[in-house]
Amino acid sequence: MGLLKKKDQVQIKDRLAEEMKDNVKIILFLTEDESKCHYCTLTKEVLQEVASLSEGKLEIEEHIYEQDQELAKKYGVEYLPGFVILDKNLKHYNVIFHGAPFGHEFATLLEDIVIISNGANPPVSQDIVEKLKAINKPVKIQAFVTPTCPYCPKAVLTAHYFSMINPEFIKGEMVEASEFPELSAKYGVSSVPQMVINDGANSFVGAFPEREYLDEVLKVL
Amino acid sequence: MIELVFFDLGDSSTSKQLKESYDMIIIGGGPAGLTAAIYASRGGLDTLVIEKSSEGGQIAATEKVENYPGFTSIDGLELAERFSDHAKHFGATISNRGVKNITICCDKKTITLDDSSEIAAKVLVIATGATHRKLNVLGEKEYEGKGVSYCAICDGAFFADKHVAVIGGGNSAIDEGLYLTQTAAKVTVIHRRNSLRADRILQERAFNNPKMDFVWDSVVEEIQGDAFVNNLVLNNVKDGTKHELQVDGVFIYVGLVPNSGLFKNLVQTTPDGFIKVDPVTFETTLPGVFAVGDVIDKELRQIINAAADGASAAASAIKLYF
Repeated sequence: MGLLKKKDQVQIKDRLAEEMKDNVKIILFLTEDESKCHYCTLTKEVLQEVASLSEGKLEIEEHIYEQDQELAKKYGVEYLPGFVILDKNLKHYNVIFHGAPFGHEFATLLEDIVIISNGANPPVSQDIVEKLKAINKPVKIQAFVTPTCPYCPKAVLTAHYFSMINPEFIKGEMVEASEFPELSAKYGVSSVPQMVINDGANSFVGAFPEREYLDEVLKVL
Repeated sequence: MIELVFFDLGDSSTSKQLKESYDMIIIGGGPAGLTAAIYASRGGLDTLVIEKSSEGGQIAATEKVENYPGFTSIDGLELAERFSDHAKHFGATISNRGVKNITICCDKKTITLDDSSEIAAKVLVIATGATHRKLNVLGEKEYEGKGVSYCAICDGAFFADKHVAVIGGGNSAIDEGLYLTQTAAKVTVIHRRNSLRADRILQERAFNNPKMDFVWDSVVEEIQGDAFVNNLVLNNVKDGTKHELQVDGVFIYVGLVPNSGLFKNLVQTTPDGFIKVDPVTFETTLPGVFAVGDVIDKELRQIINAAADGASAAASAIKLYF
């Protein structure tokens, strides 16, 4: 234990104390065979460290993917490590992480936790909220990122914000590209952030503002 | 694969409620904006910094910084975090938002954020920096994200054991090229002159790096490929001959364009869009609106003078308006 620096621990603890309202639960999927999942243990450790700084407001529930495939499927977790963030009533907002929440994506994780803890009302313009709510067909947004990309959290958060607004139809996923080279190669990812919509029906590169981002998402409908 | 494990804590949350108005709003959280925030907060101003992506601006996309006094070598990210912690320590608020629009009326500067909420400021500081200039050649747009990249630290992982080209001869090109040699099989620097503009110490590292080679006096005429980039058509500017170079990727570092689009109708800029400021106060042509860092019209664009701009602007704002 001890991935997070002392100074960071203090900051995280203060922030969670100040900004978390209701409890939040992370459902984490790991594997029986750790040799197949380079980042499973590290992800588990860092999530547990964050939970330990939350004064009991963040709980981590661990599952072994091979044993709980139905559950993983229900939550939309397909790659390992994978996890989702639920609110106090265990409502699933389709906020999904595939891969370790390291580097800049750690900021994404904290932001998601805080927003879901406050009722999952992300800062999105009202007209865009209405357009998102009107979506009535399944939309999957996979945001491919690397942990060293400073422009990427915004792209992942936009996907997550969209799914928080309409979780019934929209799925927002972070995919850490360097951990899943085959999946990345399948969509030709070589610059991040790259968003892949509905398994390749559309894709775009760059941290677009919410309006342009939505336009790209709507193209698949 | 991830070579370094670090944890970006982000800024204070976007869900945090902002006030309706501030003494000073700084748009952009790079070294210029954050230094302005340090000086303004210490000067007693209620200060907000709005940053759309990551604190630190371009330094967050720089692996190592070796020319900021006091640090012989520091990770770009760590320096960014120190700037940001420093500003917060003296009371500045940093918010991770985008800005959609600015209206100036009667002494009041109103900023519309990306979620359409509005905040007002008595004094506005533009510290929006600059982004990488495009080459504007055939194939560049088509292959963006398919082998054409502008961020080595973001995308280097996808070019492990591959041959990449770096376009440019300045500090950014050589710095990023050297970073890419850590994973790539070979890095070819293509420069339109016959010598580099980068600092001497970077040139020495480049010339001594066995993975790096150089094509001089040449410009890229076209980027070609199938699904991905696989070829560059080069034109030798000295003798007009054409050459081809087979590469798997191309990283472009040919200068900067200012992020001044939002302000073009408000303040005076150069034809290239760099904002004109008073060299002493850093005030733009619009009273109460200052500009600092890479977005302004100046000779040298470094962290140290971006920070200096921020300090000068905050000090003059306090003197002139509070």
